[in-house]
Amino acid sequence: MGILKRFPGRREIAALYGVIVLIIYSWTLVWFFWKFPSWINYLSIWEIVKAFCISVSTNLFESLAVVALPVLLAAILPQAWFRKEFVARAVVLVAGGLGYMMYLATFFQGKEDYPSDAIQLVPWVALVLMLAVFLVGKSGFVCKAINAFAERATIFLYLYIPLSLICLLVVLAVLVF
Amino acid sequence: MARQFNRRDFLKLTSLAASSLALLKLAPRALNARAQGDKTRPNIVIFVFDAMSARNLSIYGYPRATTPNLEKFAAQATVYHAHHAGGNFTTPGTASLLTGMYPWTHRAINEAGLVARALTGRNIFSLLGGQYQRTAYSQNMWPNYLFEQFVGGIDTVLPPSSFSAVEQIVGENFPKDRGDAYRAFDEFLFQDGTPPASLVFGLIARLFLRRQAIFAQTSEYDRGLPRTGNYPIYFKLDEVFNGMTGAVAKLAAPYFGYFHIWSPHAPYKPSKAFENLFDDNWKPVKKPMHRFGNKLAYTELNTRRRNYDEYIANVDDEFGKMIETLRSQGKLDNTTVIVTSDHGESFERGVDGHITPLLYEPLINVPLVIAAAGQKQRQDVTTPTSCIDILPTVLSMGGAPVPDWSEGRILPGLGGSYDPQRSIFSVEAATNPAFAPLKVASIAMRKDKYKLIYYTGHGPRDIFELYDMEADPEELTDLYPGKPPFAQALKDELLSKLAAANAPYQKK
Repeated sequence: MGILKRFPGRREIAALYGVIVLIIYSWTLVWFFWKFPSWINYLSIWEIVKAFCISVSTNLFESLAVVALPVLLAAILPQAWFRKEFVARAVVLVAGGLGYMMYLATFFQGKEDYPSDAIQLVPWVALVLMLAVFLVGKSGFVCKAINAFAERATIFLYLYIPLSLICLLVVLAVLVF
Repeated sequence: MARQFNRRDFLKLTSLAASSLALLKLAPRALNARAQGDKTRPNIVIFVFDAMSARNLSIYGYPRATTPNLEKFAAQATVYHAHHAGGNFTTPGTASLLTGMYPWTHRAINEAGLVARALTGRNIFSLLGGQYQRTAYSQNMWPNYLFEQFVGGIDTVLPPSSFSAVEQIVGENFPKDRGDAYRAFDEFLFQDGTPPASLVFGLIARLFLRRQAIFAQTSEYDRGLPRTGNYPIYFKLDEVFNGMTGAVAKLAAPYFGYFHIWSPHAPYKPSKAFENLFDDNWKPVKKPMHRFGNKLAYTELNTRRRNYDEYIANVDDEFGKMIETLRSQGKLDNTTVIVTSDHGESFERGVDGHITPLLYEPLINVPLVIAAAGQKQRQDVTTPTSCIDILPTVLSMGGAPVPDWSEGRILPGLGGSYDPQRSIFSVEAATNPAFAPLKVASIAMRKDKYKLIYYTGHGPRDIFELYDMEADPEELTDLYPGKPPFAQALKDELLSKLAAANAPYQKK
């Protein structure tokens, strides 16, 4: 019971998860609609639906993996560092981390090189994120604003999670069983 | 009134059922025995070298010695000098080779495109039939989409990552529906060349891939390991050829093998022994920039051409070793070996590579060398042929009937004859919807010594170019503006063929 108490509450996790889902699914959907015009040239609707289902199912696992990280941090770190004002701090951490990943991803347009310059920024990005996580907990206004945004982002869970589960069933039927 | 079922009827029925069961059990053994004992059918193996232009091969008179081993191989083979691909990139070129139909018929015209669903039964694997053990392998991902369409006719599909040094192909782990898995995972979520659509897994996977590629790097490849284009496969040429040698050696006769090798497709990464092999200051004919080209300077094109030539020489060297090994093992006895390509490569008119609407010879004139089982002498065929002719030729060699829908003909020198009235076509329509009339396309028609190129949908007006390929093999003098008397007939024929190909897709 003691350990469980260290974890954030369901509502807090849901608020954070809403933000994560918004970012991760949006990234994939943007690329999906970028690809769509070429696919529609030669694929049937069912083939495009299958590609969509595989993508959304992958997003589900990605988002679960990402949300696990701040939840675990909240349980491990001293409460004052992260557990307190969890939603605001975790949203800053996750949004900053995913933003940096988007920046890194753009380096993969070239097919040859390892993005050494961008990777070398990792310690600095980590430092900036830690500072931001610390500072955000000190500002009541910022915390409130982020909490309000995160709570509204939970609406995406009602859309994306059932959709992902249906897509997962399709993927299991098409690719696995 | 129904007759009563008596004891005698019962005995008749049971003995009939028992003998039927025994026959059913014996039938496959009998068929198998027929296949095993069938020494009359030759083994057939096709090696397709991706993006290998005939115009850069010394076997066809190119001044750089790019293919000494292919020349040696050709000493007991038929060499086709005016062989043409179905299109100017992998999907239409390969689909035409495998189906014996032009791109405007099979409709695999887009990048990573697919054959029209109603036509998937029309493929070389299915038509050869179960008498052959049929194996397919392609390092290039796009032919793998076609294999998935033809999967009922293929006994073994080797994964594209086979014989690789480093790879990260996800789709091949889903054998139930590899086509969809390739498309979603490898063509989209984890695709190389664009930011991965999977932000977290895709990025992490790509970082690991790049690290692995760095660790796999050897001094053998100064310019980096050879790799495929948009898919994460790094390889060493010798390992790929050794892998194919082993794969061919394992096949049980009679077999049909289709092996599609990425090289010499870009990026051009020859091993160290072949770097700077052609540092010779040789200069090809300078040609004018084309309006549809990407305006690359002549010197830059020559540098790229040199790298390409070196890569071809490297591929040729490995090919020579593979053939020697297979021959010394007796694995090529009673075997027909076909060497060809799916399309060519351009280093002229401001255009490098093959992503272009242009259809000049470097882009569509591909090698075709066929060493028929038992052939002892070289023969040369200079009349125009098309990749769609490979299907009927292979079927005739394999003792299978040539279907009447085949747009190809049995190749001259291997049972077919030259018809000067025949026209052959190459089609580029990468951005046109597959199942709609071709409105954005380039079409090249070769008839005897003339070649007519038609560009439509690439600008405000349609363009025609006409060349006399005997007098002007470099396609430098466009005869069309002079309106020679035969031009109109060629134009009418091309447009009527296009109209016929578009007819099934016209809205009523």
